[in-house]
Amino acid sequence: MASSQHVLLSPAELAYLHASLSLTPPIRPDGRSPTQFRPLVAETGILPGTNGSARICFADGTEAIVGVKAEVERTAQRPGEETVFLEEGGGGDGDGDDDDDEEGETGAQGDRRKGEASWVEMTVEIPGLRDDDSGTAFLSAMLSEALLADGEFVKRLWINRRFHWKLYLDIILISPPLSYPLPLLSLTTHLALLSTRLPRLKSEGDEDPFFDDDWAAAPYLFPRSSSSSATAATNTTATKQPATATRPPITLLVMAFGNNIIFDPSKEELAVADVALAVSVTSSNSSSNSSGDGENDEAASAGGRSLRLLSIRTIDPPSRLTPPGVPNAANAAYGAAAALGTQKMLEARTAETEAVEGVWRAPRGGAKRMVLGALVQKTLERGGVVDEVLDALEGVDLG
Amino acid sequence: MPITILPPRSSRPINSNNNSRLPQEDASSSEESDSDSGGGVDLDGDVPMRPRQQVRTTFQARPPPRDLASAVVTPGEVITDDPQWMRGHGTYVAPQTTAIVSSVAGTVTRTNKLLSVRPLRARYTPEVGDLVVGRVVEVQARRWRVDVGSTQLAALPLSAINLPGGILRKRTETDELQIRTFFAEGDLVVAEVQQLFGDGGAVLHTRSLKYGKLRNGVFVAVSGMGGGGGVVRSRRQVWTMDAANGGGQVDVVLGVNGYVWISKHVETPEAEATAAGGSITNMEESLSATVYSSQNDRIEVETMREIARLRGVVMALVENGLRVDEEMVIKGYHEAVEMAMVSPEGPDDIYLGGEKGQQLAAALTGA
Repeated sequence: MASSQHVLLSPAELAYLHASLSLTPPIRPDGRSPTQFRPLVAETGILPGTNGSARICFADGTEAIVGVKAEVERTAQRPGEETVFLEEGGGGDGDGDDDDDEEGETGAQGDRRKGEASWVEMTVEIPGLRDDDSGTAFLSAMLSEALLADGEFVKRLWINRRFHWKLYLDIILISPPLSYPLPLLSLTTHLALLSTRLPRLKSEGDEDPFFDDDWAAAPYLFPRSSSSSATAATNTTATKQPATATRPPITLLVMAFGNNIIFDPSKEELAVADVALAVSVTSSNSSSNSSGDGENDEAASAGGRSLRLLSIRTIDPPSRLTPPGVPNAANAAYGAAAALGTQKMLEARTAETEAVEGVWRAPRGGAKRMVLGALVQKTLERGGVVDEVLDALEGVDLG
Repeated sequence: MPITILPPRSSRPINSNNNSRLPQEDASSSEESDSDSGGGVDLDGDVPMRPRQQVRTTFQARPPPRDLASAVVTPGEVITDDPQWMRGHGTYVAPQTTAIVSSVAGTVTRTNKLLSVRPLRARYTPEVGDLVVGRVVEVQARRWRVDVGSTQLAALPLSAINLPGGILRKRTETDELQIRTFFAEGDLVVAEVQQLFGDGGAVLHTRSLKYGKLRNGVFVAVSGMGGGGGVVRSRRQVWTMDAANGGGQVDVVLGVNGYVWISKHVETPEAEATAAGGSITNMEESLSATVYSSQNDRIEVETMREIARLRGVVMALVENGLRVDEEMVIKGYHEAVEMAMVSPEGPDDIYLGGEKGQQLAAALTGA
């Protein structure tokens, strides 16, 4: 999909960027190492009227705010589920649950909770772009796809058979989009979801939900790994979940340039990219991994975190739309005698077909499969970038 | 460490009773709003509209105290009623009054009896003779429209460039037809403001060998003017400096409009001719062959690294609100080279963002 950003750079600039980024190691214009992110300022709990909120600000001034609001909604009943409903007399352990539950093998007790994609509503607002602009719609689709891809997230919104939480995620980019805002929005959404708390459920079973007034007792939507056992004891919804510290997904922008793989590209870097990918990754600290989703499971790092690939999208880098540079041989305004001799015409013809050093040429052809594979592998690497990003985000003080 | 996440810097409260929001307060305020009848949200960030005029009345009697000089004023705010002050830039006096009112958001500065407001951020206001770096955004029949960071696009007429062909000549129809071979959309030019229109639009010219198309380097746009940071008008906007670590020579062009170009220094035959004592007219005639080239020369890795380091210095200066001029850039560059020497990564470490930039700025302001 198009990254919808047309950057106007001169062919000489593009050629310089191309030359400096194709070195090993690449020299990025802002001096970062290939895996380094721009330093950012993050805080949570900035919107008192929301269930969870976060703000992230890059040093260059790009800033995003995400607010999460939840409301109780009646789940649409489908015929055929009533039989199971009658069977459900006792407490929350659900031994007799043997219906068509495909998630039965993940938890010992069996997970009766179901979720639907319509329980999450996401809106993305980018200043200067219409709501139905293709770029905005694509960003929103990518971010919600990461959330909904494995169906685990919406299960957290399950209250009982008749009710569920409906989550509204409002993602607002405050500053004009100086660079492709996907990583910023994704990181902010991640933080906002980490800080999201839902009121503690007091009612039991399938009766109308009734919640605790005490906001201090409200558990986090994503229980923290340290305090997860404490909240799980009081939370009825959390008891059905094995004590895992699953994290919301993050979507990273990864760019390949020749053999170099670069994370969090800036606008200028994206303008010369060969391939750009949006890779969505989630993590879970569950002890019983690799039984479920097979090949996508990467073995846990030292911290016991397992990374799981949720989705990949290719981003159309603006590099393909850039005009090529004119080599001196073909430049009519080059040289003292601007007249074109036959010799010059010949040179010009070869210059059009062959690459000349120092002259920008837009990348041609599609992405190579090897490169795509390397990009994904680098992202999911043990103790790699994603691990450190998740660690850093976890270190943010939740308000 | 691929990512650094910093806690938000507590902004200086503009008003003394601007309550700072703490996490605990968030929880409690949400709790209160539950029990509230309205169920609305407390507008924590709402700044109470305390009449600030009282501050000003004390200000009228005596010269502005030092802390007021650094206070932020907003458009329409009365700075003083006292007729003894003269109005400067960023202020106006409404008819039939003597009050000096701010017309921009910025800080009050006082020069003797002159009160002016320096805007927090402003677009570039062209002045005749300014050296600017601009980007061609539009090609028209006989001129280019150039983005110079001003409120309007500047114009660069075809008749205001040096046309190739070895002699000074008038533009011909052939030139008009092949206007894109000189400058096309996206190209960066360094030019001088030749003339101003009444509405603030500028006309540029490149009729000198110093001016023309830019290549062999990187571009940085920083805010010009205002806020303390950014490029300021100074004696020299263009210079060549020796880069450390075998980087050779590097050219820096600081456009007054805040657009900066850092590139490898290339010796042109004309520059050598001037060094040998060639006359100005001869120089103009033997127009450089490479003026309209968009092909980069071969650039060594060391040079690229030093160019990136210089770019980092400029960005660090701007992010930390320091002025960008020749002195600061050169001082900052030497400081950055020394910082890299002692850093664990060695002299190849060119990253100057975040905390390193603050370190650099602290070293510059402290020295």
